[in-house]
Amino acid sequence: MTAVRASGYPEAAVRARAARGAAAVFPPEESYGQEVFGGTPASGDLLDQARLVPPVFVPLRLEKLIELGREPLFSDVDLTTGIGGFASSLPVFLSAFGSTQLGGTELAVAASRQAGRLGIPMVIGENVVPVNGYGRGAASANNALLTRVRAYLEEVPDGLGGVVVQQSTEDADAEVWNLVYSDPAAEPLLASGRLGFELKVGQGAKPGLGGMTLLDAAAAARVDDQYAVTDVFGSPERLLRSGSPGTFTDEILRQQIRLMRNNFPRARIWVKLPPGRDVAQAAQVAWTAGADAVTVDGAEGGTGWAPTAFLDHVGVPLAECLRRIGEPGGCLLAGGRMWEGARVVKALALGVRAAALGRAALIAVDEDRGQGLVRLLDALALESRLLISALGKYRPDALAAEDLWFPADVASAELPLHLPVRPVSAP
Amino acid sequence: MNDTYDENEGALPPALPVHLASPTTQRALRVQHQVLIATRAFLGAEGFVELLPPVIGPVTDPGVRGSKQLDVDYYGHRYKLMTSGIFYKQASLLAFDKIFYIAPNVRAEPVETCSTRRHLAEFHQIDIEVAGATRTQVQAVAERLLTHVVGHVLATVPDELTGLGRDLAVLAEVLDEPFGRTTHAGAVAQLHGLGHPQSPDAEIDWEGEELLSHKAGQPFFIDDYPKGSRGFYDRESTTEPGVLRNFDLIAPGGFGELVSGSERESEYARIVTRMRETGENPAKYAWYLDMVRAGIPASAGFGMGLERLVRFLTGLDSVWQVNAYPKVPGLVSP
Repeated sequence: MTAVRASGYPEAAVRARAARGAAAVFPPEESYGQEVFGGTPASGDLLDQARLVPPVFVPLRLEKLIELGREPLFSDVDLTTGIGGFASSLPVFLSAFGSTQLGGTELAVAASRQAGRLGIPMVIGENVVPVNGYGRGAASANNALLTRVRAYLEEVPDGLGGVVVQQSTEDADAEVWNLVYSDPAAEPLLASGRLGFELKVGQGAKPGLGGMTLLDAAAAARVDDQYAVTDVFGSPERLLRSGSPGTFTDEILRQQIRLMRNNFPRARIWVKLPPGRDVAQAAQVAWTAGADAVTVDGAEGGTGWAPTAFLDHVGVPLAECLRRIGEPGGCLLAGGRMWEGARVVKALALGVRAAALGRAALIAVDEDRGQGLVRLLDALALESRLLISALGKYRPDALAAEDLWFPADVASAELPLHLPVRPVSAP
Repeated sequence: MNDTYDENEGALPPALPVHLASPTTQRALRVQHQVLIATRAFLGAEGFVELLPPVIGPVTDPGVRGSKQLDVDYYGHRYKLMTSGIFYKQASLLAFDKIFYIAPNVRAEPVETCSTRRHLAEFHQIDIEVAGATRTQVQAVAERLLTHVVGHVLATVPDELTGLGRDLAVLAEVLDEPFGRTTHAGAVAQLHGLGHPQSPDAEIDWEGEELLSHKAGQPFFIDDYPKGSRGFYDRESTTEPGVLRNFDLIAPGGFGELVSGSERESEYARIVTRMRETGENPAKYAWYLDMVRAGIPASAGFGMGLERLVRFLTGLDSVWQVNAYPKVPGLVSP
């Protein structure tokens, strides 16, 4: 070790790169498959800084009072809702885990089982099929996608929930949707109107990049002709698999959605957008082309592998995405550090129909394989009922921007983009 | 897997030996034999060269309406059984200006298609491609071909047709008048008039197609399908963006689609863009794109479903009845 010191300078980070080279662009590879990722500023994001603000006068409570013939309580809040064409017991759904070791394991199966029991929709991640395989017949017991679908179907109550299978640009080679749609195993889902397909345009953890995972040599060889596989870490047991984000224009997005509707008329069509600066236009194109739901993944991290620069510096924060979208032109879903009632209720007040749980669900089932997610959502549901009733409302879709207050420094940014109005600052 | 078909009991192929021994099957196959003779004679006389289609390749037609390609392990590479020979048809124009195949195709169609009575997982197409042709020109070929085949079958095997209960007078009407013509938008409007909820920017659904087919007395063309309903190789109109220079030919009497065809995209940048619009990854089409970049002729062509054609001629209920070794979607059969 030399004697050079540079106080007040990110010396340790520079030394790490000098020692490890390109590997230092990523989080420590030892944590891969053990950790979920995402930067959390100490002050929280705009959504965390906003407060829910109950009113004194509550006309909707009067409506509920008349309906019930007694004073309404928090327990009278009905959390059931429609999510992208499916009925759900709660305004939340299980989002895709991707193909990291976390997403493909028994944790994901446990999460699927509990999501089914809860009656909330579930999205199955993009490259589960190309990476983990989709065997049929006898081999299908080991197949990640079908195992998760079965676990879900074993528990889901009639009339609730749905399974949404994601595909991105590279997965087109594996024909994930065609494969699922033409498989007799999907028939129970199709027959009950509970199959959906999600077009993955991008993701929150690394907007502008495609999927990234670490694979061992054997798994890398399997996908060698589908993805770029690079040796960043100097070990054959740690190879970086990178996908392309795919090329989109408004016409490409519009036509891809139309083709999905054309080819899979019995499936619901979802679109997952990255937190891009043009997220409002993209969401509108998707809804106009007939998407049943648009999910905005805030720049809040995820279960996938991402360079630290992307976790810390890239993408529009979720609250800003929602502000840019404004009044949604269709069913709007949102993800990004959702795990408790307050953040979910705030998102609902900003026009979101349901919140995506990704990392929270994984941690919950890691805590308890049998009940972790169920308990987490028990808590979330109670909290949401308390909060929504305090706002004088008894249904999630009654929430509106009036229920939120932003601190003054945020509020100036809170004004609609195209209105020539100046905020009045306090003297 | 037979469970899927409980509701359609009786509408499924029997065991293969029973099927092949059936007089109905044998009559249908004699009609098919005459269709092949007539097709080859007609196209040969029009200057087409018959080529033998490839069976496998690194990529194939990315399919329509949710059907799945079947994989083959080719020396460690994942090859595909041909869902259609479209890329090779375009390539063949580097050798001849007018070509045709009698091509076997394999598509793992969604199980729901078993109820349409006109889908087989393994089927055949009379596949033609013509360099420098317009849609109108290949539609004229389709019309002359179908008229010729009907005339030939009526002349050579009328007893087989009547033996299957086909009214020869009804079939002969096909020869009487020129084929009808509408557009996709016109067909959508007609279906809306009939109370059928047809999406204006999607393929005419099977039920809708059957409705229109029942209303018709003559075969008719549907032109101008919207982008988003068809593959990337169907040429987009340069004067009407979003409209494809393609067509289907629908048989009368409820028999539905016999032919799909189009003018083809032949410019490299257009094809790459259209690939993205149809959700395809251009990287996997390397050989095709290299060829397109070097230059292929503009062309138009079509595929006429052989089993569908024979079903129309014989008037049989289901398309599997006219195939010697039928493979109904989702049903595991020899």
